[in-house]
Amino acid sequence: MSANRWLATGNFFATYKEEQRIFLTHLDRAVFVLFIAVLFTWPIFFELSNKYMLVINNILIAMVAIIGLNLVTGFAGLISIGHAAFVGVGAYTLASICQVIGYDHVAVTHAWPAMILLCGIVGAAFGAFAGLPALRLKHLYLAIATLSFQMIFEWVIHHTSFFNQGQTIFVGRVYWFTGQVGRSEHYFFWYYVCLVTLVLLGLSVRNLLRSRYGRCLVAVRDNDRAADAMGMSPGFTKVYAFGLAGFLAGIAGGLHAYMYRGVGIESFTLHQSIQYLAMAIVGGLGTLNGSFWGPAAIKLLDLQVENLAELAGKVLTSHLSLATALRPLTFGLVIVLFLMFEPRGIANWWRIVKSYFKLWPFRY
Amino acid sequence: MRLAGKIAIATTVLMFIAAIVTGPVCAKVYKTALSLAITGPTSDAGNPYSKGVEDFFRLVNEEKLLGDDTIECIIRDDKYETDITKRNFEEFMDMGIPIYLNYSTGSTLGLKRDFEEEKIPVIPASFHYGNLENSHYIFLPIASYSEQVIGLAEYVANHSEGGTPKVAVFIHPSAFGRGPVDDLKKAVAAGLKVEVVEVVEHGKDLDNTATLQRLQNKGVQFVICHTVQSPVATLLNDAQRLGLIAGTFGEKGKMTFLGAHYTGGNDLIALAGEAAENFYWTTSYTITSVPGPGADAQLALAKRYKRDEKTANSHNYANGVMVAQVAFEAMRRAKARGLEINRENLYNVLNDMNGINAFYPVTTVGPVTYSKTDRAGVDSLQLYVVKGGQFTAVGLPFRSVYMRKIH
Repeated sequence: MSANRWLATGNFFATYKEEQRIFLTHLDRAVFVLFIAVLFTWPIFFELSNKYMLVINNILIAMVAIIGLNLVTGFAGLISIGHAAFVGVGAYTLASICQVIGYDHVAVTHAWPAMILLCGIVGAAFGAFAGLPALRLKHLYLAIATLSFQMIFEWVIHHTSFFNQGQTIFVGRVYWFTGQVGRSEHYFFWYYVCLVTLVLLGLSVRNLLRSRYGRCLVAVRDNDRAADAMGMSPGFTKVYAFGLAGFLAGIAGGLHAYMYRGVGIESFTLHQSIQYLAMAIVGGLGTLNGSFWGPAAIKLLDLQVENLAELAGKVLTSHLSLATALRPLTFGLVIVLFLMFEPRGIANWWRIVKSYFKLWPFRY
Repeated sequence: MRLAGKIAIATTVLMFIAAIVTGPVCAKVYKTALSLAITGPTSDAGNPYSKGVEDFFRLVNEEKLLGDDTIECIIRDDKYETDITKRNFEEFMDMGIPIYLNYSTGSTLGLKRDFEEEKIPVIPASFHYGNLENSHYIFLPIASYSEQVIGLAEYVANHSEGGTPKVAVFIHPSAFGRGPVDDLKKAVAAGLKVEVVEVVEHGKDLDNTATLQRLQNKGVQFVICHTVQSPVATLLNDAQRLGLIAGTFGEKGKMTFLGAHYTGGNDLIALAGEAAENFYWTTSYTITSVPGPGADAQLALAKRYKRDEKTANSHNYANGVMVAQVAFEAMRRAKARGLEINRENLYNVLNDMNGINAFYPVTTVGPVTYSKTDRAGVDSLQLYVVKGGQFTAVGLPFRSVYMRKIH
């Protein structure tokens, strides 16, 4: 171990335990704590409009979902094209409860943390079930199996009157210790709920990845027969990876349902699944911090392109459709460029920046 | 010059300067906003719709129809996604708009509670009857989809010969498409003399042969469509290929096809070609192939802002123009009454829009009437039929009888 626990410039691990530390230096821990403190305090000092609070909450929810996708696709190497359906399972769990007991039932409005957890558990069950084909299928074949789950999910929601045939099912306003969370503080409140959830889940997954179960995921991804020979169970690991991804997606779905105060099928379509996959790729597959970069980058890019499109629309008034085509074009271009020039995603840029500062003022 | 004279001149000059300086300051800008699908699903309707809204507000500002005051309408693309519509709506709320123009059925239903909480009058492009249920602030521009479909079924019942006519309903697989089905069944239960043999939810099929043959075997004579143009065009093309399209209304052994607002228009004729011949279509809007003041006004507006021919002749362009007209009229009336342009006053003005206060936009076949118990604007419907490659009017505007019986 380095003598200086604040500014270690290299790896000085003497034991496996040292290598498995969450924070390699005190500086890493201090920066993390400071960053979290900033995330928790900024909304108190800077009032942001509802629009941007909604965007930020949306990013946080997407981050929760992408951690799950990254576990199954990035760490376990199992392609999932139906992740939005797993998020939808979580959201529709809450919607089903609202349909049965009423959207403003005390269980929905007061016991919302338990409801969100329940969404995660149901998501995990569906995830594990949908992951069963992974016992037999690999690569593109598995991708098609997850795609079929997405299709079945959409069909069921669209054709079941219980689910309002995909139309919005309302979710009531929740209560906090101070009373009902009204419209004026709605996004502010859900910012903190989403943030706390994200931090807890992020740390849990970070811990998981340094445990034997986490290492199993990577081992199965790299070579499942070798992992089998070493005493791991590739089949169980794959199903458990899907279950875990389903849990995180379900939690994201529950948060989505509460934050939007309703559940409609439009938020959980194949298009959304592709967008989730794009977020994971742009962020960096197989890295935990990539799960944070990807959603932030894609969502903010989408917003900026929208603003640009509106400006273009003002200049080219009669060619509004041309201006708004900028959004899908940019989305596609970003994915292609990342795949071509930075397949390791933004997480790799972050690694380079960290390395630079870690070694500074030396070059190597 | 005496001191009093100097003071008088100075005061006059100062007043003159103040009038010049404060004059433009007094002119107000009223913000409003529209969120709709300019890209993504239904953008073929959303595009001309947005242009209609944009052009009419430009006309208001350029012609000073609100005096020195102007209307600034922010138009945002939501790609037909409710999540994006919600985000746009939150942004518009931050801007403090007094009236909001929405678009899709899904987002209008999804944001209904937000509209209620914000107490903001909303005029959507969706004519879904569910928009009016458990809500007070949504104002449909024209008769609901339910009224259109029931109106068509009434026309079938009144103009077909020989027993109860057998009808199939061909709908879009969504909340938008399914909306009027239950109401039609209620109307039948209330005594409307048609038999609904089958409700067909179309997919993305490019071939409807099996569907049409099944309907033929069931003895279906009339197919009422409630979807968008392209599935109807596919259906008509297949029906023509099978020789099933009736040459005259209700021809025995053949099928007569009818459709609600979003099924028709010039796009249908462009897509279906000759197969669109004898297609019956209802809407509350005037159309450019039927000469009249509405058609003239629509074409003049489109020409003024150099819109292409397709947009100029689109009934969705008229749709957008009309919605903007209603929003403008509410503002104009509020201003004329000396009221502040805010949500509450516009809501009250819209609710007063009935009787002698009814609003007559030339782009519709009847007046816009709203009250606290009636929030569907134009109650009249006009039937059109394709003859010689263009829509022509059939009879006079009518109203559904059974719609009033079931609601």
